[in-house]
Amino acid sequence: MSRCRILAAACLAACLAPFAAGAESTIKIGFPMPLSGPAAVYGAPVTKGAEMAVQEINAHGGVLGHKLELLERDSKASADEAVRLARELIIKDNVDFLVGTLTSAEAPAVSTIAKENRIVFIAPTSKSVQLTSPKNLHPYLFRLASNTDIEGHSAASIIAGWKEVKRVAIIAPDYAYGRDAVAAFIGYLKKARPDIQIVDQQWPKLGQSDFTPFITAQMGTHPDAIFCDVYGGDFVTFAKQAGPLGYFKAVNNRLVDGGEVGTTDEAQALGADYPYGIWSDAYDPVIWAGDEPPEHKAFIEHLKAFTHEKYGSGWAIMGYSAIVALTDAIKKANSTDSDKVSKSLLGLTFDTPVGKRTFNAKTHETEMGEFWGQMVKGEHYPFAIISNPKYLAVGPFTD
Amino acid sequence: MRLRGPTLAQRVPWTLVVFLAALSVPFLGSRYDVFLATQIAISALFAVSLNLLLGTTGLVSFGHVAYFGIGSYVCGILMKTYGVPFSLALPAAALGSAGFALVVGFFCVRLIKIYFAMLTLAFSQIVWAICFKWNEVTGGDQGLPDVPYPNLDWIAAIPGFDGLRIGGQFYVLALIVVAISLAAMRRIVASPFGRVLTTIRENPERAAFIGVNVRRYELAAFVVAGGFAGIAGALFGIFNRGVFADYVYWPKSAEVMIMTILGGMQYFWGPVVGAATLVLLNQQITSYTQYWPFVLGVILLVLLFVFPGGIVGGIAVGVARLRRRSWRRLGA
Repeated sequence: MSRCRILAAACLAACLAPFAAGAESTIKIGFPMPLSGPAAVYGAPVTKGAEMAVQEINAHGGVLGHKLELLERDSKASADEAVRLARELIIKDNVDFLVGTLTSAEAPAVSTIAKENRIVFIAPTSKSVQLTSPKNLHPYLFRLASNTDIEGHSAASIIAGWKEVKRVAIIAPDYAYGRDAVAAFIGYLKKARPDIQIVDQQWPKLGQSDFTPFITAQMGTHPDAIFCDVYGGDFVTFAKQAGPLGYFKAVNNRLVDGGEVGTTDEAQALGADYPYGIWSDAYDPVIWAGDEPPEHKAFIEHLKAFTHEKYGSGWAIMGYSAIVALTDAIKKANSTDSDKVSKSLLGLTFDTPVGKRTFNAKTHETEMGEFWGQMVKGEHYPFAIISNPKYLAVGPFTD
Repeated sequence: MRLRGPTLAQRVPWTLVVFLAALSVPFLGSRYDVFLATQIAISALFAVSLNLLLGTTGLVSFGHVAYFGIGSYVCGILMKTYGVPFSLALPAAALGSAGFALVVGFFCVRLIKIYFAMLTLAFSQIVWAICFKWNEVTGGDQGLPDVPYPNLDWIAAIPGFDGLRIGGQFYVLALIVVAISLAAMRRIVASPFGRVLTTIRENPERAAFIGVNVRRYELAAFVVAGGFAGIAGALFGIFNRGVFADYVYWPKSAEVMIMTILGGMQYFWGPVVGAATLVLLNQQITSYTQYWPFVLGVILLVLLFVFPGGIVGGIAVGVARLRRRSWRRLGA
């Protein structure tokens, strides 16, 4: 027994050995993002977008004479893991900035770490209004994404336009994003159409593997239309289980999903199983019939070449734009000091492939909207595309 | 058998030595070393508390994470939502976990072996469901981020400790709590009460035959283990800057069980070694490959076949063999 004690002591002492720290010639950006599991359907293309931005910027000589370095880590869409990674990135890898996290559970948790360590953190995709509520907002936190108020209102405005709809059901993932979006949706719908009744709410968890009980329970309440916030790999599972049960047929495809299932990423993941006829959104419709901005066309061409994929991603724009915004802020501040960069981000206007966006100096958000439309079978594409994508944005709501 | 008094090695107060060695980390190591050391210290406490059931009493609990989780939620909610100081929140977390362990244990000790294990798992899943669904109190899936650090001014007031960062100061606090808890558990295992638990592990029928109330002793072990797991959970919630539903999910139960078995469950210090090994391996391997679960699986496989006694068991066997060989050489 005594020998074991000595050995135990030796093992503990082993952790005293210092670990080598990296060299400090590049500007390091920590990038925790879900790269495995159902959320990776969105997380992986966001990461690709960020990689492309870093490559472009470095090809033009970097920022302030330094190259950018992206440190990608798989957060597994778990708040717990995202916190661990964010701290590791800060104290082990000495990152200068944090960009990343996908879900609205990860972002507030990482925001705490950014605040404590005084490091600028840009959330490219997390939508929950709680993230930037006055209680939680701090000088180092910025949100590129839309927010749940904008999403809920946009979705409600679509459903409110359907005169024959009287009974609406809701299905959304059971965490901050789903809850906040649904609250905004109900709030707006009640005002716009007092005659509509919310007949059912289902709350599956994020990463649910069997949606059948939720689907059958909801069908039992006979809704005319559905507001859905299931997204990513979860929506793939959901749609494959709901289709054969006649879920989409029962509401005549009057389902509005605010979780970006209108992206080419989601459409390709579902392929022929896509429930054509539903309505959804995307930050970037990718396939743009009509008056496509030339910057967008160039962006998608570059993206296709960068990823060696046949079609572009509707998510890459978020990772790409987050890095562009951060770079612009570093240039404006003429420093990589987070205190200075966070100040230069306030009110900063930057270019994205779909137009200029600005960080509101008060809310720290871009308050960007999304492109909405009905999902139809693409004529020249083996997957669903948004027909007549329309940019819907209302705001600001979160002050 | 030769009788001999305590050897020099046995006379050394090892808990104190380990404590002092670990205390030097913030002075010698980087911020990252402190981060890892804190994680190891807390995991070690959690694993040793499980070993009170697994190794000492012979009860296989698949739901030990429930008490860890309750401890972190109780402490986190008290400190964040109600602004209660750490000095009250920590005992409250231990009591909360122990109290819940009393309720669960009351039912579980009525069953044996696989049925006992399954029931502990069932209860831990219930706790997880409550933490996950009760949005108003636990924050649901997004948890309770931003649990405040306790007031650590008194550590900064100790001469020599004033230069430490907040992370280092919290490490010192965590280390003190862990060391006291480990010392307490060491006493419990070595006490007559602990001996009875070992008797139960070896032969519950015979223990009952000699007049031991097996169920009551098992329940007592269950409550004590739950209380210490709660302390580990409370520390972890503060360390990780938030409390999340993942803390109560069953894979964490498996993780702590792996730590215990990896280190060696027949030895008091086994789980401590297991915790240190797993935390260090995890951080080393995940920086090279995404396939950490695969690597972990292979390590476990090798371990179970080659060193069934865990790392400490394996080393002990090796040392004993070397000794015997040198004895033989002396004899020749």
